[in-house]
Amino acid sequence: MKKGWPISIAKLILSLCLMMQGMFASSQVERPKLSAQFDSLPIENALLTIENQTNYRFYYDKTAFDTTKVSLNANNISISDALESILVNTGLNYSIDVSEKNVFITKGLLVQTTLPSNFYKSDTVQNQSSAVESAMLFKPGSDDKEVILLGRGDESGVNRVTISGTVRDEKTGEPIISASVYIQNPNIGVITDQFGTFTIMLPKGRHTLNVQSIGMEDIERQILVKGESSLNIVMQSRILTLRNVIISTQKTNNIRNTQLGVQKLDIKTIKQVPVVFGEADLLRVVATMPGVKTVGEAATGLNIRGGSVDQNLMLFNDANVYNPAHFFGMFSAFNPEVVKEVEVFKSSVPAKYGGRLSSVVNITGREGNKKNFAGSAGIGLLTSRLTLEGPIIKDKSSFIVAGRSTYANWLLNLLPDQYKNSKADFYDANLLLNHEFNKNNTVYLTGYLSNDRFNLNSDTFFHYKNFNYNLKWKHTFNNRLYSLINIGQDKYEYKITSERNPVNAYALSFNVRQSYFNAHFNYFINSKHTLEFGLNTLLYKLLPGDYVPVGSESLAAPLHMPFEQALESALYISDRFNITKDLTLDAGIRYSMFNYLGPYEVNNYPQGVPKRVENMTGTTIYAKNKIIHTYHGPEIRIGIRQMLSNTMSLKAGYNSLRQYIHMLSNTAAMAPTDIWKLSDPNISPQFGDQFSLGLYKNLKSNTIELSVEGYYKRIKDYLDFKSGAILVLNSHIETEVAKTQGTAYGIEFLAKKLTGKLNGWVGYTYSRILLKADQAETGEFLNNGKIYPANYDKPHDLTLVSNYRFSHRFSTSFNATYSTGRPITLPIGKFRYAEGERTLYGPRNGHRIPDYFRMDFSMNIEGNHKVHQRTHNSWTIGIYNLTGRKNPYSVYYVSENGVINGYKLSIFGSAIPFVNFNIRF
Amino acid sequence: MKRVLPIIAFLPVLFAGCKEMYDPGIINPETGYLVVEGFINSGSEPTSISLSRTTKLTENIFSKPELNASVTVEGDDNKSFSLVSTSPGIYSSAQPLTLNTAVQYRLKINTANGNEYVSAYSSIKHSPVIDSITWKRENGGVQIYVNNHDDNPNEKSYYRWTFQEIWEIRSTYLSNLKYETNTSGNPVRVIYKYPDQSPDYSMYYCWQNSRSANILLGSTERLSQNVIYLPITHIQQGSIKLGVLYSIEIKQHALSKNAYDFYLQMKKNTEQLGSIFDPQPSDLRGNITCTSNPGEIVIGHVEVNKEENKRIFIYNSQVPGWGYSRFCDIVSIANNERSIIENLQYMPIAPEEFNLDGSIKSFSASAGTCVDCQTRGSNIKPSFWPN
Repeated sequence: MKKGWPISIAKLILSLCLMMQGMFASSQVERPKLSAQFDSLPIENALLTIENQTNYRFYYDKTAFDTTKVSLNANNISISDALESILVNTGLNYSIDVSEKNVFITKGLLVQTTLPSNFYKSDTVQNQSSAVESAMLFKPGSDDKEVILLGRGDESGVNRVTISGTVRDEKTGEPIISASVYIQNPNIGVITDQFGTFTIMLPKGRHTLNVQSIGMEDIERQILVKGESSLNIVMQSRILTLRNVIISTQKTNNIRNTQLGVQKLDIKTIKQVPVVFGEADLLRVVATMPGVKTVGEAATGLNIRGGSVDQNLMLFNDANVYNPAHFFGMFSAFNPEVVKEVEVFKSSVPAKYGGRLSSVVNITGREGNKKNFAGSAGIGLLTSRLTLEGPIIKDKSSFIVAGRSTYANWLLNLLPDQYKNSKADFYDANLLLNHEFNKNNTVYLTGYLSNDRFNLNSDTFFHYKNFNYNLKWKHTFNNRLYSLINIGQDKYEYKITSERNPVNAYALSFNVRQSYFNAHFNYFINSKHTLEFGLNTLLYKLLPGDYVPVGSESLAAPLHMPFEQALESALYISDRFNITKDLTLDAGIRYSMFNYLGPYEVNNYPQGVPKRVENMTGTTIYAKNKIIHTYHGPEIRIGIRQMLSNTMSLKAGYNSLRQYIHMLSNTAAMAPTDIWKLSDPNISPQFGDQFSLGLYKNLKSNTIELSVEGYYKRIKDYLDFKSGAILVLNSHIETEVAKTQGTAYGIEFLAKKLTGKLNGWVGYTYSRILLKADQAETGEFLNNGKIYPANYDKPHDLTLVSNYRFSHRFSTSFNATYSTGRPITLPIGKFRYAEGERTLYGPRNGHRIPDYFRMDFSMNIEGNHKVHQRTHNSWTIGIYNLTGRKNPYSVYYVSENGVINGYKLSIFGSAIPFVNFNIRF
Repeated sequence: MKRVLPIIAFLPVLFAGCKEMYDPGIINPETGYLVVEGFINSGSEPTSISLSRTTKLTENIFSKPELNASVTVEGDDNKSFSLVSTSPGIYSSAQPLTLNTAVQYRLKINTANGNEYVSAYSSIKHSPVIDSITWKRENGGVQIYVNNHDDNPNEKSYYRWTFQEIWEIRSTYLSNLKYETNTSGNPVRVIYKYPDQSPDYSMYYCWQNSRSANILLGSTERLSQNVIYLPITHIQQGSIKLGVLYSIEIKQHALSKNAYDFYLQMKKNTEQLGSIFDPQPSDLRGNITCTSNPGEIVIGHVEVNKEENKRIFIYNSQVPGWGYSRFCDIVSIANNERSIIENLQYMPIAPEEFNLDGSIKSFSASAGTCVDCQTRGSNIKPSFWPN
């Protein structure tokens, strides 16, 4: 209820309260005595004990104090002494009203039990003149279960009676303007006038009366209307920061919206979660949500509901980031300082998104401070970072620039041998600008750059880079219609160089570039229909490989693979239709089309014959910009929601998606050498659809969200690698991959509490992803055409993420995660060949590495919160992998000096302490 | 920062070894698939094929030879050559095969359990010779390279190499003594080994050898010229191999693209695993199929091939500052039964003091490995050895 108070105000109120408490104490009347002994009893039980001994009734917010424990050792002492004794150190206050019947327990604010002597003056006059029942008073802190009687029953037989009164601010006594006073059934409401007064006609009988006003605590009371009455309402101001208001409006989103499988995380939550080396890591936190997995600690690629890592559309302010990983893939390349929140669509993907099969990970950047210049700097084990922000034109436009860089080479010595003799350098930079031309026109500019260079235990250097920029224009036509126009370019490239052997020294580069234009319209027709529609168009230009010699001695033959080009376009429309109060349908259709464009030389294979090199019947050359091949088809996006009660809903959904660009990989983790390939006449697009069903329930006034979701998903024409596939610099890649059909299903349970001292979530998932490659066209059945699990198939997954806030300055976080070990291919036999002992590999992904279990702990310490100081600082100190368990990343067998040895490799084989320092200015 | 520094300081201590030996325990499925190794030799040596069976990972068996099979080389001209078992699992032709360049050949195996296996047909392939073996000092050690070229510039070449190293070992001390034993075999005193008191060179000069254990492959696929210059092996500085004289013989097989891919996959599956971005292992497909039980796993890639050899020598004098040394201390032992028994870890080198009668009173001795090189190699001199 009172989170996020600026500490200075809280202190002020507290001191006021203490003063007032002293006042009350001195004006004691003779109060009953009581005796009780208890230790660490929940406050609810303690107060009940006192209630039983006295005539007092206690009023307090049960949910807010549910974790408070109190102790008392009292022998015949007064109630005020007893209360002071038990409430000491809890930060709670009490006040006893003049009737000596009611005790209000509050946090921080003290309930005033008396009002200024002239407060009711006008009402009294009114009462006398109209001779109605004397004014009743609503005020915060009273029991909302209590039914308040309004008016004396009159015999006139009139059904509706008039209730009139005023709404005032408790603190200042000023009238509150434009407060709404209403009942819901039937729907009758009025707004207070400039003087804070209102008149409302209500049917006789029992109602729930609501009073709401911006910046005030909502009031909800049971009333029993018997006759004309006047009613005076006192509202308490709500001192909250803006962020909390946002949360409260989102409270019921999870049950109210029609989408399934959507998870939203704000940056505050993300920063609380301890991660390795203490770098707040967006994707690692996303991976703690049910249904999201990674192959292990050396991989940030997400496997969402059985999807492969390339099936996620990773958007940062609409820019598609292809390889958002740093430092051998150990952590993600999004700077937490510029991120506001991340939203993951695992099932219901809005029609405006497309092009990837499994999910959309939508990362929204912050907007810079429009009033003042500000900044932050941080230093951790892995990176140091600097962020600057401020207005360009005050209140109109702002900017954020942020950068991170590493000095992490020293850490490499601490990693397994696999990283020995390695080097790593990386940085990322962000630029975010926005400008509001007027109320209806705002533009946003986003720039993103991440750059990695490393070598891994060899003389080969890897270098990869993401570079993205876009411009977005938001235009509001009127209250009901707005548009978003977006234009930009995404680029991902890598380069591998090897120079040790001068004769073979080479450099290999790859890049993919996409230019896009998106137009999106949102049209609120009426309370029943909201329409979204628009078009996306995306031009790909992909360089599959460029191989050049390095140095004068090199004999490496230059090989310039021709560019690939394609145009992906889509039109979409979706309607959110509120069929009844409780039933809402969100139906959308997206029609996508993919044109593979020349110039290109396409390999030809006869119909019905496996695509193998020996079956190739030559090539066909296509001219520039000629459409070589077109794929197209509809994508259906349907979600339906039925409210079962105010706090419970049932949702069902069906989604289908198409993917026209594929990542080809034969490594376990997403490697910087993985190439992307456009669909072409020989490689068809992937198609996936998903049925899902979910039940959502909120508890304790929407502070606890419970959900269970089940899904069944089909994946068509996913590309898995054939044995011994050569994927780089291959002009006939279709011969190296096998079209694979996948089936994924699962059930996800999630309990989430995002407010209160104790917050976090616990999720459990049971899920499977099974693949099968038995198409004759492949020419080779993977795993003999039998079903095999994908290498990220981890059926059981239990994750706890928690944070406990001891005070505004100190909180602790704790994670625990367990999952089934991932599948790997293990040898089924050994033999001697080529002078050494060799292994024979069995069914693909036929075995599993040992299960994964990890616990992490961290403490977040904020510097003092004095308003007037130059800088605010904070520390994060923690331990990753508390138990030091050697969680395996892989198990493998190697022939060493002719003998087979089995090894288990753990990336982090011990407890890893970390520390991070941040400063804001 | 005061609080931070101690934490960072003890970080390295907390990182433990992250790679450890692993035994999955229960993984022991049925195995015993046929493994065929060798090539149909188009050169001047007989053809030799080795047949064995895969064994369980947990089985402590060097190799399980396949016995009583009948092995023939068949040409598509219907001519065939039988191979006969010369030792367990080894099937060889008595004479070099006379193959016709216009004919394609395959291997046919009939195992004792009644199954028939055939390899794909292949023909005699052009096999470039090894131009040279070169070496240079790298990181103090010696890096050995193989060089060759193929004049046919349009042809991409694929190669596999194996090598055998031989190096001369010399004992630190040359001995002319030996122990004289009593009837129960215990040494009682030292005497001259030979009546003329000459030293025993059979314990002084020895030769040790080792073979390549890794699969060495190379191709000119990505090169503009059909030229190979590839590292074969590295000798660490100070290694005994170059203590006196070292020799390496490299054998080269020119492969088809398919055979190259087979060996590459085997290499990936068994040698290039465990790093973060290495490809995942997968099944291995050769060119041999079981005709009587299609789908049965058979391991092996057999084609018509020829072996090209080349040998070089490197003398210790060519690698200045090599720094091979062996610590060998000398002790003095009285020539009587008791002190000899007390110092049995030593071997006699030469007399030190003499009794008045000229017999040996005491003698110098050193550790066995310092006196008798046979503890570290064989004293049979290879026929090609220049020294």
